[in-house]
Amino acid sequence: MSSRLQAQHLFKVFGRRPDEAVEKLRQGADREELRADGTTAAVIDASFTVEPGQIFVVMGLSGSGKSTLLRMLNGLLEPTAGTVSFDGQDLTALSDRELREVRSRKISMVFQHFALFPHRSVRENAAYGLEVQGVPRAERERRADEALALCGLAGWEKSWPDELSGGMQQRVGLARALATDADLLLMDESFSALDPLIRRDMQDQLLQLQKTLKKTIVFITHDLNEAMRLGDRIAVMRDGRIVQTGTAEDILLRPADDYVASFTQDVDRSRVLTAEVVMDREVRGDEADCGCDTVTPHTPFTELCAISARVPHPVAVLDEDRELVGVVQRRRLVGFLGDEQGTPVSCDAPRDKGGEKEVARA
Amino acid sequence: MPRIPLGDWVNSTVDWLLGHMAWLFDLCKSVFTGSYDGINAVLQAPHPLLLAGILAVLAWWLRGSFAGVLTFVGFAFIDSMGLWSNAMVTLSLVLVATIIALVISVPVGIWAARSDRVSAAVRPVLDFMQTLPAMVYLIPAILFFGTGASAGIVATLIFALAPGVRMTELGIRQVDKELVEAAEAFGTTPRNTLLRVQLPLALPTVMAGVNQVIMLGLSMAAIAGMVGTGGLGGDVNEAIGQLNVGLGAESGVAIVILAIYLDRMTSALGTEVSPLGRRAAARARAAKGLKIWSYRPQPQIAVVGVVILALVAGGMGIFGGNGDSSTTASDGGDIGKGRKITIGYIPWDEGVASTYLWKEVLERRGYKVEARQFDAGPLYTALAQGSVDFQTDAWLPVTHEQYWKKYGKQLEDLGSWYGPTSLELAVPSYVKDVDSLADLKGRASVFGGKVTGIESSAGMMGLLKSKVLKEYGLDKEYKVVDSSTPAMLAELKRAYSKKEPIVVTLWSPHWAYSDYDLKKLKDPEGAWGTGDGVHTLARKGFAADDPVAGGWLKNFKLSEKQLTGLESEINKAGKGRQQDAVRTWLKGNPDVVDKLAPIPAGSSARSADGRSIPDVE
Repeated sequence: MSSRLQAQHLFKVFGRRPDEAVEKLRQGADREELRADGTTAAVIDASFTVEPGQIFVVMGLSGSGKSTLLRMLNGLLEPTAGTVSFDGQDLTALSDRELREVRSRKISMVFQHFALFPHRSVRENAAYGLEVQGVPRAERERRADEALALCGLAGWEKSWPDELSGGMQQRVGLARALATDADLLLMDESFSALDPLIRRDMQDQLLQLQKTLKKTIVFITHDLNEAMRLGDRIAVMRDGRIVQTGTAEDILLRPADDYVASFTQDVDRSRVLTAEVVMDREVRGDEADCGCDTVTPHTPFTELCAISARVPHPVAVLDEDRELVGVVQRRRLVGFLGDEQGTPVSCDAPRDKGGEKEVARA
Repeated sequence: MPRIPLGDWVNSTVDWLLGHMAWLFDLCKSVFTGSYDGINAVLQAPHPLLLAGILAVLAWWLRGSFAGVLTFVGFAFIDSMGLWSNAMVTLSLVLVATIIALVISVPVGIWAARSDRVSAAVRPVLDFMQTLPAMVYLIPAILFFGTGASAGIVATLIFALAPGVRMTELGIRQVDKELVEAAEAFGTTPRNTLLRVQLPLALPTVMAGVNQVIMLGLSMAAIAGMVGTGGLGGDVNEAIGQLNVGLGAESGVAIVILAIYLDRMTSALGTEVSPLGRRAAARARAAKGLKIWSYRPQPQIAVVGVVILALVAGGMGIFGGNGDSSTTASDGGDIGKGRKITIGYIPWDEGVASTYLWKEVLERRGYKVEARQFDAGPLYTALAQGSVDFQTDAWLPVTHEQYWKKYGKQLEDLGSWYGPTSLELAVPSYVKDVDSLADLKGRASVFGGKVTGIESSAGMMGLLKSKVLKEYGLDKEYKVVDSSTPAMLAELKRAYSKKEPIVVTLWSPHWAYSDYDLKKLKDPEGAWGTGDGVHTLARKGFAADDPVAGGWLKNFKLSEKQLTGLESEINKAGKGRQQDAVRTWLKGNPDVVDKLAPIPAGSSARSADGRSIPDVE
C-alpha cells in the first residue's frame, strides 16, 4: 500500500545568507532581485500533495527548479525552508542516518542518464538498493531478477550496462528502483535521453506497471506531451515557482496564465482529451437508445473521432453503470482539434448535409 | 626593500626541529630503514637469475609470454653488467618509497577530492615538493634522517608524493556526479559511496598515479645516490664524477630497464585490479584471438611458478651459502671484534683508493666496514651529523674551506695523509708557448677569453677570481666560467679531442693528468698559495670511542708512488671490484697493512678494552 507525499512551502536558495533570501522571497521579492545579491532561488514556495498511487508530474523548462524540487523530496538537497512529509513522517526533521534509512527503504530514484554503475553487472545494479539495505546475497539476487523480469529484461542479468541499448539501460534503472519495494518513486527526466519511439515504449511500460504496482510516483519532465500522458496530476513550474497544478485537462483547457497557455499550444490535443472533456452534458435521455456504438467518459479523443465517423448522430457517453452522462457533437470534436472554444454559428444559406452523408456512406 | 631573512628563519627552524623533534625523525627513520632493509634483504637473497625468473613469471602473468621473455633478458643483462646488487638496492628503495608514498598520498587525495578547502591547501604544497630543487632538501634530510637509505627514501618520497595525491583526487572527482548521486539516493553511507562507487571507478586513474609515483621515484634514484644511498644512483654519480661515460651508460640503462619493467607491470596491474579494465582487456584479447606471444597463464599457474622459483631460491640460499665471506680475515689480531665503521667517500680517485684501502685493512683487523659514496656537501653533513665515521678525502685548508667553516666544530681532523696537493690552471700540452700563468696574458683570443671553472662554491674558484687572475693582470682579459666539475671535465675532453686550446681549473692529484697530456701552468708569484693537504676527517668523538682505529688513522700516510700505484690498480680492475684491486695491490706491498694498522702490544688485553667500547652506530 502506498502512502501520501506532501510538500509544504518548500524553498531552496543557493548562495550566501539563504535564510534572509527566503524572508525576502516571502515578502514578494522576485528571483532577479536576489540574483543581484549573488544568491539563486531555485525553488520558491512550492506546495503540493501526491495521493497514494498517483503519478504526479512536475513539468517545466530547464532552470525552472524542477530537479531541485525533486531532490528535496528525498533529502539529497536540504530545503532552505518548508517541510516534506511522506508516510506521515517529516523528512526534513530527520538526521542524516535516519534519512539514509528512509531513502534505502521507502524512496527510490530513476535518473535522466540512467546512472548505472559501469563496474557492476545488470543484476548487481538492480540489486544495489537491496545491497545497501543489507539483504543477503541470495535473496537480493532473486528480488533483483524479479524486478528485471518485470521490466522485460529477463535473460540479461549477467550482461554489463554498456552492452545494453539506452532503453534497456533505463529499464535496468527502473528495475533497480523497483527492486527495493520503495513506495515512492522519483523519476528525474527519466525518459528524456531516449529516442522518441523508445520513450513511448517506456511510457507505456511505466503505465502498465503502475496499474499493478500502484506506487506513488513523482515524475519530472520538460515535455508536456509526456506530462499529459503520464500524469494523474501535473504541476507546471516556471522560474522556481509552481504556476499551476491540475489534471491534464485543467492545464490544457484552463491554463492559469499565458505562459502555461503558450506551452500547451504544441500539445497534441487528440492524445490528451477524453470524451468527458468534449461531451455535452445537456442530454435529452434517449440518445443511447439506438444500437449504435457508445463511449465512456475515459475514451480517448482519437477513438472518439473514429466512432463519431461511423455513427450518423452525436455519440452517446455512458458511465460505468451504463447511465447516459453526455453526448459528443461532431462539431465539438472538430472545434477542439482547432482549439476553437466559441459557440457554433449557423450558415445563412445551408446547402446540404453532405458531410454527414458522405461519412455515413463510408 | 628590507631584507627578509627567510634563510635565517629556515636555519633556526631546522635547529629547533633537530633539538626538539628528534624522536619523530628517529621514528620515521627506523620505519624507513626497517622496511628498506627487509625488502632489500629479500631481493638480494636469491641468485640473480632466479629472481629474474620470478620477475619474468610475473610479467608473463600480467602481460604475456613476450613480456616475460623480455623481462628475463633485461634483468639478465643487468646482472651481466655487474650491476645486479645495486639495481636491487635501487629497486628496494623505489618500492619502499612507493609504498610509503601511496600510504600517504591516497588518503590525502581522497580527502582533497571531498573538500575543496583541503584541495586548495594541498595544491601549493605539492607544487613546492615537486619543484624545489632536490639538493635543497637533501641536506636537511641528512640532518634529520642521517645518510643512506632513509635520506634517499625521504628525497624520493617528497618528489613522488605529488602525482599520487593529484591523480587520486582527479580520479575521484572525475567519477560521474550522477553515479554518486544515485548511490546517495539509495541511502548509501558516505564511506560506502567512496568504497563501492568512487574508488572502484577512480581506480584506473589512481593506478596511473601509482605508475607516476614509481617513475618519479626512479628518476630520483640518481640524485639519491649523492647522499650515500648507493644503488644505481651511486653508480651514476660516480660515473659523472669520473666522466666515465661507459659506466654512466651502463647504470643509466639499468635504471631504464627497471623503469620500463615497473611501468609496464603497474599499468598491467592497474588493468587487472579494476573491474572495468579487466573487462576491456578481456574483450580486446577475444578480438585479437590467441597468439603464442601474448598468451597469459592463469593466476594460479603464475603463483605456482613464483612459489617454485622462490623455494628454489630459498633452498639455494640455505644450502649453497654464498662464498663471499672471505673478507673476515683474521690473520692478525681481531681488534675490531665485528664493530661497525662507516666510511664516506667522494668518487674521486684518491678518495676511492684510500677508502677501499682502509676498508680492506680494517676488515682484516676484524671490523665490519661499510663504504658509502657521497657528493661533497652531503658527505660533510653526514660526517657532522655522525652517521659516517670518517672520510679520507678532505682538501684543507683551501678547497674544502667552506665546508670546514660550516661543520669544522662538529668534526675531528685526524691529520693529512697526503700532500701537498696543488691547485692550478692547466692547458693541453699541444698549446704551445703557454707554460706559466704569465704566458696567458695577451692570449685571451686564443682561449676565447674564458677559463673553464668548476662549481662557484668551490674554494679554488674564489681564490682564482679574487687573487690569482689579479696577480697576473688577467682579470680584465679572461672571464671565469662557473660550471661543475663534470662539466669542466667534459669540456676539457671535447676540446682535447678536437685539439682546441682551452684553459681549465684543475688540481693534483687528478686522474685527468694521467688520461690527457696536460701542462700545469707555473705560478712563479705563488698566487695559489702552498696547496692543500688531503686530510682524514672523523666525526666528533670517533678517536675517543675507538682509540686504536683513531690512532691508525692519525698515522696514515701514503707516498705519491703508493697512491698512484693503488689508483692505477683500481682503474685496471674496473667498477665494482675496487676491493679486489686493493687486495692485489697489497700482495705487491705486503708490509703496508701492518704499517697502517699495527697490532698493539698485548692485543688480547686491549681487545678486552675493545669490547667495552660502546658500539658505534
